[in-house]
Amino acid sequence: MLYLLKVAGSSLEPDFEEGDFVLVSKIPFFFRPMRPGDVIVFNHVLYHTMIKYVEHVEPESGEIFVAGTHPGSVDSRSFGPIRPSAVLGKVIWHICKKRV
Amino acid sequence: MFYELLSRIDRLVGIRGASAHCDIPCGIYDPHQAQVAALTVIRMLDLMADLTNAQKTPTLEYHNSISRQIAVKEEHAELVKREVRVIWGDYLKQEHLDKYPELPGLVHKIMQLGSKCRQGVSRESAMDLLAAVNRFAEIFWETKGIATKRVKAPYKPGEEIVYPVL
Repeated sequence: MLYLLKVAGSSLEPDFEEGDFVLVSKIPFFFRPMRPGDVIVFNHVLYHTMIKYVEHVEPESGEIFVAGTHPGSVDSRSFGPIRPSAVLGKVIWHICKKRV
Repeated sequence: MFYELLSRIDRLVGIRGASAHCDIPCGIYDPHQAQVAALTVIRMLDLMADLTNAQKTPTLEYHNSISRQIAVKEEHAELVKREVRVIWGDYLKQEHLDKYPELPGLVHKIMQLGSKCRQGVSRESAMDLLAAVNRFAEIFWETKGIATKRVKAPYKPGEEIVYPVL
């Protein structure tokens, strides 16, 4: 229910940078449904554990469209929506490295 | 404090990664955008100085123009940092750092100067930023075996800029 992960890659810069740590949990979703702007961590068959912003949640299927902030982000624009069952949780604590 | 603690734990046991996957990889890297952004910072400072010197009594029009120029200065100083960070993080490899030991210090300097240009209105700082980005561009093209030349930009503020000789 609780995961500590380290951010790798630059698709969420400047909000999340390589080397930042995040604490992730599903618990917040028991109290409030996922909505655009949430930062979630999920499993992807090709890219494994990924972190992205929620862009849109399909009301009927629950499929989630995710996006990064960087123009070169690999996200739902390239691999489509993700299933709710793939979601590990929402970022509940962001521990940043010191910004320059 | 928490970050330091987690970094130590990471070094000891290895914390699992969450990929903010970005590179396709497209392999398209070019410092030109950072250079143009650095020139834009200088240009905005010049426009701000001209406007302020010409305006004895600030008007609504003045406030509007100066606000827009500040916003563009902010945006482009940050763009310099972002473009250099992408090349630093995605393109430059250990072999480049070994060959150009000045690189880490140079990139750090660009980050600091970018912030300084956002915070203040010093043209000198903006010129220092352009100089550092130009040096970064020279090294970048050298890593690709491409010679460079320094020329005056053919548009205002007309400062010197590094171009690859293609």
